[in-house]
Amino acid sequence: MSLRAVIYDVWILGIGLQTVLALVLLGKRAWQRYPVFSAYVFLNLFGAALSYAVFQNKIVYFYAFWICEAVGIILGLGVVREIFTNVFSPHPALRRLAKIIFRVAVVGLVVPAVGAIYAQSGNAKSIPYAVLLAAQAARIVEVGLIMFLFLCSSAFGLHWRQNVFGMALGLGMIGAVELVTVTLMGHVNSATAETLNLVHGISFSTSLLIWLGYLLAPERLVAVEVPKRAQLEQWNQAVTELISR
Amino acid sequence: MITVIVIALALCAVVLFYTAVRSRRKQAAELFRPVDLNAFRTLMDRDDELFMKEKLPRSKFTRLKRQRIRVTVRYVARIASNASAVLHIGETARLSSTPEVASTAAQVMELAAQIRLQCLVAMGKLLLEYAMPSLQLTPAMLVPKYQSLRENVRRLGDLQTQTPIPLASAI
Repeated sequence: MSLRAVIYDVWILGIGLQTVLALVLLGKRAWQRYPVFSAYVFLNLFGAALSYAVFQNKIVYFYAFWICEAVGIILGLGVVREIFTNVFSPHPALRRLAKIIFRVAVVGLVVPAVGAIYAQSGNAKSIPYAVLLAAQAARIVEVGLIMFLFLCSSAFGLHWRQNVFGMALGLGMIGAVELVTVTLMGHVNSATAETLNLVHGISFSTSLLIWLGYLLAPERLVAVEVPKRAQLEQWNQAVTELISR
Repeated sequence: MITVIVIALALCAVVLFYTAVRSRRKQAAELFRPVDLNAFRTLMDRDDELFMKEKLPRSKFTRLKRQRIRVTVRYVARIASNASAVLHIGETARLSSTPEVASTAAQVMELAAQIRLQCLVAMGKLLLEYAMPSLQLTPAMLVPKYQSLRENVRRLGDLQTQTPIPLASAI
């Protein structure tokens, strides 16, 4: 089986998984709670179906693919915003501070993203390469913001709802892999580019499985373990001894 | 160069996501750890520290202060961890159909979030003081806030009659 055939199979698998995910979102009415994420999933499904339909016509395929990709990147950033709102909305005390840090992070990420475009713009002799540069910059912002969300929620000790955690994890995974592939794509030969396409396809299917898994799995119950009274007293005694030494 | 930086960023992201998944599994069994507020108050007492500074030789004071800071950091970490656990249980209680339970849970969560923030500030200050023991930064007002959290958690426990565990006495 040739590499091209494997890529094609992975692509078809991706479309199948996207269809299942779209059905799950509709069935669980998740689009009411996560409208931007649902729009992102439906757009990807539409883009994949459209690309499949116009695959034979290279020019139409090019424009269809990159228009969907551009809208997908904007929606991806919208999903990050939706995750942010979901994580911080129950905590008004943290929300204001988190918003400020989030805005600073956006500015802090846009600067290196623009820097990356500027540094490589001299090599951008063709439209596809320029599009790859723009995609790279957008992915830097997207992955950076998801990393920021994970770090920030860990510092504040926040707990993620299962669905939201899955959304962030899947988006982060595909974002990180896309960042690597679009960065390397302009520097490699066509054989390696095919391998990168395969890696991208597999990682996209993995992200779809992550989203499906976290959407379908039941929310974990909070298991709170309380230490025994004797333990508490032992601890207090130990500390009292330590500080009175 | 840009390529290397970008790939490094992507790898960092993957490592971070892996760590997040692992820590989420650990969080599934949350553990409340007791905090002795009297001992903590003594550790944070600045008069006590001034007394030691006057009476002890500089090297001994530095060693003792760093030792105190190490213990204090453990206390602050416990308080932060308990506040985080309270945030977690508060989320469930906040959705209660009983308005009083829901509003008390919201108060508890607000307080726990504030404590969590103060713990971050306290950690920063403690790290600075550890690096420069002669520094005496304003201590974070953690004790009164934490006491208030305990009281609110107790009130929440009283309201939720089905709660089998006396959480307030455990934290």
